[in-house]
Amino acid sequence: MSTSAKHLIVVDRLHRHYEVGGEVVRALDGVSFSIAQGEWVGIIGQSGSGKSTLMNVLGCLDTPSSGTYRLNGSDVRGLSDDELADLRNKEIGFVFQTFQLLPRATALGNVMLPLVYRGVPKRLRRAQAEAALASVGLTNRMHHRPNELSGGQRQRVAIARALVGSPSILLADEPTGNLDSATGEEIIRLFQELHRKGHTIVLVTHEPKLAARCPRAIRLMDGHVVSDGPGLQLVPNSVQAVPA
Amino acid sequence: MKRLAAIRRGFAETSEGVQIAVENLIGARLRSFLTTLGIVIGVMTVITIVAIIQGLDKSFQSQIANLGAHTLYVSKWAWFTNGRDAWWELRNRKDMGKRELEAIERQASLAIAVAPMGMIESDLKRDDLEAPNVQIIGTNAQYLATGAGSVAAGRFLVETDVDLTRNSVVLGADVADRLFPGFDLEQVLNRKVQVNGKVFQVVGVMERRGQMLGMNMDSNAVVPYTAFLRDFGGKRSMNIAVSSDPDNLSSLEDELVEILRRVRKVPAEKKDDFSLNRQEQFLRTYKQLTGSLYGVAVGVGLITLIVGGIGIMNIMLVSVTERTREIGVRRALGARRSTILLQFLVESSLVAAVGGAIGTGIGLGAAQVIALATPLAATVNGSAIALGIGFSAIVGLVFGIWPAWRAARLDPVEALRHE
Repeated sequence: MSTSAKHLIVVDRLHRHYEVGGEVVRALDGVSFSIAQGEWVGIIGQSGSGKSTLMNVLGCLDTPSSGTYRLNGSDVRGLSDDELADLRNKEIGFVFQTFQLLPRATALGNVMLPLVYRGVPKRLRRAQAEAALASVGLTNRMHHRPNELSGGQRQRVAIARALVGSPSILLADEPTGNLDSATGEEIIRLFQELHRKGHTIVLVTHEPKLAARCPRAIRLMDGHVVSDGPGLQLVPNSVQAVPA
Repeated sequence: MKRLAAIRRGFAETSEGVQIAVENLIGARLRSFLTTLGIVIGVMTVITIVAIIQGLDKSFQSQIANLGAHTLYVSKWAWFTNGRDAWWELRNRKDMGKRELEAIERQASLAIAVAPMGMIESDLKRDDLEAPNVQIIGTNAQYLATGAGSVAAGRFLVETDVDLTRNSVVLGADVADRLFPGFDLEQVLNRKVQVNGKVFQVVGVMERRGQMLGMNMDSNAVVPYTAFLRDFGGKRSMNIAVSSDPDNLSSLEDELVEILRRVRKVPAEKKDDFSLNRQEQFLRTYKQLTGSLYGVAVGVGLITLIVGGIGIMNIMLVSVTERTREIGVRRALGARRSTILLQFLVESSLVAAVGGAIGTGIGLGAAQVIALATPLAATVNGSAIALGIGFSAIVGLVFGIWPAWRAARLDPVEALRHE
């Protein structure tokens, strides 16, 4: 990792402090790492480790108290709310634990949404959304509403929505947390496929087993990075999973 | 390029906003209706009141058309006075008579028709048939030209009727019906009737004119004013109707004032001792009356619209809370604050506009019912409808601002976490 030009994400001495009831909570306390184009990185930690805060900062939903965060070459600090919104729209594809699909919109409508905020003309929007749904294998479910889809299908819709705008990174927050293990496995396979195609993926989880599937894993504890290396290292040998 | 992108984006967001709003509206029909019920009632009330007023306007204007629009009615009496003192003053004025008529006929250069109007109420009889309380009008051949209707059969008075003081009479439509029931109008001509005990010969029958302000315009009989003065008393003050081209009406007024002051010998320092009445005065007085009615309608409308607006605000606030997660998702996907603001404003305006449209529909229906059930021709013009819907939308917009602003201010992280 010599040149930072290829690094999509560069985080340097990142701090994020909250004040809760007069007490300062150091959710992130000097976090530094960088992620290169095409990497699949897991961020793992217990609840309270700061991983959610980190995900919010990486996703440009939250801004750091101090330190720098460069996303695809642009420094996030000092950006206006509108600029952050535009950055999220262009650079980040979110995949949430609870899918976060709009209940009244069809799968196609949900996937088209990021393109609406980019001003893509309707016909083009539709074509791109159809292509994205096809890429996650949901061509024949495009006109179903979320409540007519299974959990796995919903998460696929969400992934299609994350992919449709060709963002720099996919940011997945416990993407298998609300799925049974078989369906979760399906979703992990999908991520592996996307990784092979060259997508950059950041996956936030508290499950060591899931982090072990990531080629690289960053472990957080109390707002600090405590380890950064191949995901397999995280798992004790006895429960080591075989990567597919 | 950047500008074009912004326009594209704005367009996409607006059409998306409308689509979402429509989906929500249809998705929760009952709730949307209850949300906008205040607006519905407000607009309905206003549209109904406006329909009634406009109906009144129409019937009033068609009635008032019985007075010549381009005619000045010269009289010692004023149509509109204020108070008792004014009445005494008018009563003490000199009567209007032949001298004034002749002066106007001779000197008023702008007049195209001058007709005296002596009036008395009396009975007409034929054998044992009677028409009671008939307005007997003594006038001349120019009477019709002052806007007093037209003849249905026979002829109107001619100059020789007046010059020779002939006992000729033109019957109003109701009087002819009363005295000659079942007759063809042509058969009525040349028959004799008794007007206040004197025998007159029917020369014509007037076209039916209907009502004017509660007065039956067909219960009259027109005789030469010379005969009127002879038989019904020359001491009565008469009115003189003077018509001109529409453009000359105010010049005619000036001219008449000058002529009348001279002939009635009004000293320069004194006020006029006569009145020049015109149709317009009726309209003006009427408009004052309906103006205050309009004021009431607008007041009621405003109050109900405000109440309706508060209802919309209330539901929109609930809706923002319910859809907090949705707002978070949209923000995460790249919606700006302004996008969220726009979306909720579109929704509140749309819901209010639909309410306005429903209210207008019900109001128009009520107007139709009123038009069928009463003599009022309740009607509404297009601008009232557009105003009703447009104003509702504005109410929705205004009362939607606060909820929309709250939605736009939500922190995306918090919103996404909202249960």
